[in-house]
Amino acid sequence: VNIEATRTGTTVVIKVVGRLDADNAPKFEQACKAWVEQGARTLVIDMSELTYVSSMGLRSFMVIGKDLTEHSGALHLCGLTGLVKQVFEITRLNTVFTMHSSVDSALAAT
Amino acid sequence: MAGTSPSLSLAAEPAAVQTASDFVCCGAEQAGLPATRLPELALVMEEVLMNVVRHAYPEDSHGDKRGVVEITYDIPEPGCLKVEIADRGIAFNPLTYPEPDLNAPLEDRQVGGLGVFLTRQFTDSLEYVRDGAWNRVRFAMLAASPARARE
Repeated sequence: VNIEATRTGTTVVIKVVGRLDADNAPKFEQACKAWVEQGARTLVIDMSELTYVSSMGLRSFMVIGKDLTEHSGALHLCGLTGLVKQVFEITRLNTVFTMHSSVDSALAAT
Repeated sequence: MAGTSPSLSLAAEPAAVQTASDFVCCGAEQAGLPATRLPELALVMEEVLMNVVRHAYPEDSHGDKRGVVEITYDIPEPGCLKVEIADRGIAFNPLTYPEPDLNAPLEDRQVGGLGVFLTRQFTDSLEYVRDGAWNRVRFAMLAASPARARE
């Protein structure tokens, strides 16, 4: 998995490319938690090039979401496609997090 | 499943996931499953195998877990792939995990427990049997995704 982040104030846009599985979900989780520790309160995750997510990846999103809630922050997810979109829909995690079609629409809403 | 079904024996460790997934994806292609089912198959393989890696074998005095996992597939007819994942570890039926509450708000949702749920959604049949010293998880995938996975 490749993770790129851009920070503007307390908002961080994180683009995650590739796969979030048992092997690399912890890396993504740690990266996001580190941003929250550094004061980020809005995380916008660009998932347009994320091709795969397993239950370990979903676990990371829930941990990060709970972490942000405890810090009065919010997690925004955007650009889900294919299997990733399908997995969020059947687990109804698409109703738990704020979903957007693109990073631009997510930033406009924050 | 026995006889001429393709079979692979691996050490039950995280690296087995990719190898086993590639192995059964070859089977899926032979069975004529569409490309859209391959990521679903890879997901099911990760969920079932990580259960084996985590739970089947106890740690030894060095903190290592040693044991095997055997993966077998069979194509009983075109458009149907049957897979068995077997280990000789502690008797453990992963299908007894409680169903997650999908309607709970984030603060009340458990962060785990979605692996078996996803496995159920993406397979067309799923069973566990304890067979002597073996745990055997068997599932089938058909050419068309189950309706529940398309909701």
